[in-house]
Amino acid sequence: MENSIYLGLSKQMVLRTNMNITANNIANVNTPGYRGQNTLFAEFVSKQRDIDNPKDPLSFVYDRGQYQVTDEGPLQMTENPLDIAVVGPGFIGVQSPGGGTAYSRAGQMELGPGGELRTPSGHPILNEGGAPITIPANATEIKIDSKGVISTQDGQIGRIQLVEFANVQELEAMGDNLYTAPAPGTPATQSTIKQGYLEGSNVQAVLEMTNMIDTLRNYQSLQSMMQTENERLRTAIQRLTRT
Amino acid sequence: MRSLDIGATGMMAQQMNVDVISNNIANMTTTGYKRQRAAFQDLIYQNIDRPGSTSSDAGTTVPSGIQMGLGVRTGAVYRMTGQGAIQITENPLDMAITGEGYFQIELPSGETAYTRDGTFQVNENGEIVTTQGYLVQPGITVPEDAIDVDINESGEVIVKISGQTTMQNLGQIELASFVNPVGLEAIGDNLFLETEASGAPTTGNPAEDQFGSIRQGALEQSNVNVVEEITKLISAQRAYEMNSNVISTSDEMMQTTSQLR
Repeated sequence: MENSIYLGLSKQMVLRTNMNITANNIANVNTPGYRGQNTLFAEFVSKQRDIDNPKDPLSFVYDRGQYQVTDEGPLQMTENPLDIAVVGPGFIGVQSPGGGTAYSRAGQMELGPGGELRTPSGHPILNEGGAPITIPANATEIKIDSKGVISTQDGQIGRIQLVEFANVQELEAMGDNLYTAPAPGTPATQSTIKQGYLEGSNVQAVLEMTNMIDTLRNYQSLQSMMQTENERLRTAIQRLTRT
Repeated sequence: MRSLDIGATGMMAQQMNVDVISNNIANMTTTGYKRQRAAFQDLIYQNIDRPGSTSSDAGTTVPSGIQMGLGVRTGAVYRMTGQGAIQITENPLDMAITGEGYFQIELPSGETAYTRDGTFQVNENGEIVTTQGYLVQPGITVPEDAIDVDINESGEVIVKISGQTTMQNLGQIELASFVNPVGLEAIGDNLFLETEASGAPTTGNPAEDQFGSIRQGALEQSNVNVVEEITKLISAQRAYEMNSNVISTSDEMMQTTSQLR
């Protein structure tokens, strides 16, 4: 009997998820290499109570999943030799805290105490063989070419692991601009590296703001629908109990 | 509502961003200042529905799941050690380093600090000191009767003494370099200290190996690019506003909920 309220409630629950994801996108509007997330809603059709008269099944809504927006973020020129941007669908290999390989598109790198290349939060950047890359102490010039080969004035010292995935949506975000993958990626064929640039967040601020307004208005209209329904029930109860 | 907290993390991160940018702008004419940059990272994710979890007996799996991000944080604020522009001052004891390396300064505590600021002077004993009066290492004393001080590219200090025809070599200014200069700890007054992250210093003569050369009568300006800082300031401010909008929207949603009777 209160089905319409439950229907409204199901939609309100997904709108909250939507709002949370939108908020996360907006919070990361300046995070290099961040990729926006979008929610996927699905219908949940309830069992019909009256099998003989199957005309009005109830259709609830629920959040079935989400997907990563794979557009490339804008490239920002920084002129810092340790900033790289990945052009194309590839990811850079980074050693994850657990020792495995994580992947990232944020190309902000810095040098560790022993000269190893790492992310700002201290995860080493990996080479093709999966080992950390160390820059010699006497390096005065660090060049990274479009294939990811790092060289100093004394010659090549290694190549940054650049991989691609058949299905980018399988990657699981783990924070710190890192992603984990169910299976290792294949060496990149369509991606190149650009030194001295950073890829900005691919969040489209305008889109997220309108999305947010949309979420709010939807939420409010559902609320008024539920309130009307509440009123209707109350009136019904009052009328019926009046003898 | 998580979005309320997420909006708050966004505002805090942008606040930090504005702090860093304003410090850069404030130091745009500080000799030897190296600009800083805040690096942002997304926070941990909460798995509401793990990607790859099984969704039926037949073994079908959820392709993407639901992962709720919890906002943003400042991963690091780090220094960009790029070369600043060289400004000619014609002051004989001003020195600029073009390339790698730091001047070594002896602090009153006896520790060695490192700086790119080459605004040096002579104290009452003729020793070369910084503007704070700290000794430049290795110590060089300019004799009282010196009429001209010449410092060449490799840091040799040569003086002409009145009444003498030959120039006198007083010694050599040495530079220190680090594997990871970004890891140096700034202590203010344009000075830096060695840390575990920077690695131990390697000292050597200017214009040799990895060391840059010294230019007399010039100073290295800060490497702050004002146009870049201002555009970053604008984008930080807008991002701040958007995050505050997220908070007010979440607030409105909660208000709507609380009005339900």
